[in-house]
Amino acid sequence: MTGETKKAPKLPEAGQWPDRIAPAVLVAGIVLSTIGFLLAFLWASPVNGAAVNGVEMIGGQMVTNVLLLSQKIFYFHMPVAITSFAALAFAGYYAVRFLMTKNRRFDTCSKIAMEVALLFVACTMITGDLWTRFEWGVWWTWDPRLTTYLILMLIIIAYFILRNAIDEPERRATYGAVLAIIALIDVPICFMVTRLIPSSIHPVVVREGGMSGDMGITLMFCLAGIAMVGFALYRLRFRQVRLTERVEALKEQLED
Amino acid sequence: MNPVLVEIYSTVAPSMPFIIGAYALMWVAILVYALIIMFGFKKAEKQMAVLEEALAEQQGR
Repeated sequence: MTGETKKAPKLPEAGQWPDRIAPAVLVAGIVLSTIGFLLAFLWASPVNGAAVNGVEMIGGQMVTNVLLLSQKIFYFHMPVAITSFAALAFAGYYAVRFLMTKNRRFDTCSKIAMEVALLFVACTMITGDLWTRFEWGVWWTWDPRLTTYLILMLIIIAYFILRNAIDEPERRATYGAVLAIIALIDVPICFMVTRLIPSSIHPVVVREGGMSGDMGITLMFCLAGIAMVGFALYRLRFRQVRLTERVEALKEQLED
Repeated sequence: MNPVLVEIYSTVAPSMPFIIGAYALMWVAILVYALIIMFGFKKAEKQMAVLEEALAEQQGR
């Protein structure tokens, strides 16, 4: 009996409760992001630029500065960056779990979290670069935050190159886990660098009270929405990968 | 429009393509990833159905 149990093929599981709620979370995330988008453009106060030679009344307020619409990019730039950090935290956590247990499930979790992290890192780069291009007239500047974030992106890309270069699953998962942990180590460096080396591009807005209430609420909607989209994508991808692994396991079972 | 208002709104229109580009590209990237997941899932489901059928046939013999 025990021998039979050991011989029975172990199919990767899928379809737990987070998988079942993932589509609903995705829809909720899209709804919250849309509300955040509308609040950003219709409700949140505009940010002022350089002073102008005169005063005009706009919407019941005396305006004396150039209005910077480009700042509206910030409402999605920061949430996608925070979500990328969260995804990397999960990737690192699962990488540690894999190294401790050698359970392939944790390697799959870590790999998918790294995929989601790469997606949101790309979104952060796109939104940030377009802002930099308009405000500064350049596509890139060696600001400390940008540089550490670029290093982070390169580590994540290296993670996938490394995984594709190794055929043996155990070794691939182990090396991948080590690189996921290295990426996680870069996260606090990237996050804290603006506090250690102050930069005009990335001010410490929340701690220094640089946001009004309407801006903060708008940001919360965007942050919650994007975080939900990130979680849903992670779970949907996880379900897909596990189903593919089940297919492979069934193929092996049929061949036997 | 009066010159002060022109100055106040001077960066609004030029920044539009960048703002639209940032939002559009971000959602396109997310959508592409979601589509990759969806197509991958459908493909795996089809394979699963075929394999389960083959397995049932094999066990029936």
